[in-house]
Amino acid sequence: MTKRTGWWTLLAVLLPLLILILSLAVGSYRIPPKDLVHTVAGLISPSRHPDLPPAYKDILLHIRLPRLLLALIVGAALSLSGAALQALFKNPLVNEYILGISSGAGFGAALSLVFLGRGFPPQVAAFGFALLAVFAVLTIAGRSESSVVPLLLTGVVVSAFFQALLALVVYFASPYALQTLFFWLMGNLALATWRDVLLAGPVMLAAAGVLILLRWRLNVLSMSETEARSLGVHVRREKILVILVATLATAAATSVAGIIGWIGLIGPHLVRMAVGAENRRVIPLSAAFGACFLMLADDAARMAVSFEIPVGIFTSILGIPVFVYLLVKAKKVWL
Amino acid sequence: MSIRVRNLAFDYKDFRLRVADLGFERSRLTAIVGPNGAGKTTFLKCLGSLLPISAGAVMVDDRDLVRFKNRERARRIGYVPQEHGSVFNYAVLDFVLLGRAAHLPVFAMPSADDERLAREALDYVGLRMFAERPIAQLSSGERRLALIARALAQATEILLMDEPTTFLDMKHEVEILDLVRRLAREAGKTVVCTLHNLDMALKYADTMVFMKAGAVLAAGPPDSVLSEALLERVYDIPIRILAVDGRRVLLR
Repeated sequence: MTKRTGWWTLLAVLLPLLILILSLAVGSYRIPPKDLVHTVAGLISPSRHPDLPPAYKDILLHIRLPRLLLALIVGAALSLSGAALQALFKNPLVNEYILGISSGAGFGAALSLVFLGRGFPPQVAAFGFALLAVFAVLTIAGRSESSVVPLLLTGVVVSAFFQALLALVVYFASPYALQTLFFWLMGNLALATWRDVLLAGPVMLAAAGVLILLRWRLNVLSMSETEARSLGVHVRREKILVILVATLATAAATSVAGIIGWIGLIGPHLVRMAVGAENRRVIPLSAAFGACFLMLADDAARMAVSFEIPVGIFTSILGIPVFVYLLVKAKKVWL
Repeated sequence: MSIRVRNLAFDYKDFRLRVADLGFERSRLTAIVGPNGAGKTTFLKCLGSLLPISAGAVMVDDRDLVRFKNRERARRIGYVPQEHGSVFNYAVLDFVLLGRAAHLPVFAMPSADDERLAREALDYVGLRMFAERPIAQLSSGERRLALIARALAQATEILLMDEPTTFLDMKHEVEILDLVRRLAREAGKTVVCTLHNLDMALKYADTMVFMKAGAVLAAGPPDSVLSEALLERVYDIPIRILAVDGRRVLLR
């Protein structure tokens, strides 16, 4: 396993970076590849290439780069949270959307945006309500949480409740806030700024770091509770740790990018198909896959038509068929 | 390392388990036997602190088990469940490696040494060839061996096994029980397993604990524990104990 892991790790680091660089060329304002290279070179040593249009620099540095960085981090965080929650609940169908985390975070962030304004970081309320939602789901599903159907049903119910509350917030929002809210709700990276990157980025990176450190432990946590306990795990404590960290990552992602569903399902699933279920591989590769996937989805959303399509719509259109496929073919043993 | 039970009580809904005083010695294979619903598995889980007892104590080396931290306990007591039912299909080696969790902090990765110990455990149970195989591809008997290997990788002196031979054919049943007995006699472990097959318990166990309805009816060497009177009283059907080729077998 050690030998194979080396190559995968390299791929997990290099591929997202490569896509990030290539994606810099994508956008409604066309920058020729040669000028792109020169602009980037000019950023590194400003004395050279002084004759390029200053708009290039502004577009790359203040519009595309923060947006791509955010896509990278949000995609990685969502996919990683999905992979960790699936291991924890011993259920490959679980994701942050099913557990109500996304809806809770969405409601919290909207509430904060409408009533506290854009000046106050929406992450705080997003995290609070995301936690409330996930613990509501777990409490209502009760002891049956590792069986699929009760957990999924409870997730649907709790999500529906928070979506109703969200609709209420939208109803009371001022026309000005409504416009922002509308774009953001569908899952959108178009409004990304450096402020978003700096505010939510470190939170997501820290949460991702914790989950990556826990990657082998997640194998242990994917055993039944009795087995995990017999292997020396403080099940309750470690379970809460993983849920907290995954919720934090999802809430931070949702508060800057809106509800981008299903990445946490597609990413880990495709990774498991490729490399097996072992989480020392699944966790880092899910992060890499999620990052690549969201950057590419966002590229597609920017390129597809002359106006922008919210990327959350893209991921849902791709993710829901995958979920249905898994639901139909779900067997006792998974990959 | 020895286990001692003192006035243990466990209650769950209508079920009551009461064990006044019982000891398990090292280098011995103890079989917990009795009819369905006697509380064999429950008792086994109480011994491993996998179920919370409501009164009394399980003492490991004269120390109350509830005072052990999880990891500390898992370094002394290994548990082999009846079946493995994870939805994730890990490679056999990765699965056995999980036994090392008892020796690693929460955020640690298993080292090359841990992997070596996992491979040794696989060798011991004879699954060396299956190391890279996904666990779901193993037969039922091989999966039992993988579960035992995981407990061996955990390197505990006490092993609790829940029905290690249910649903196995006679050949695999004998092979697994031979292995379990070797763990007690050669590796010097304290082995306690629940067994529903009394013939096998008679053949393999050094000590037998006979349970019914949450209580221990008799404990000691199998020959003295099992009597025709006891069997008829417990199972409600006439059972005879015969001597064949110097061994005692049950006829029902």
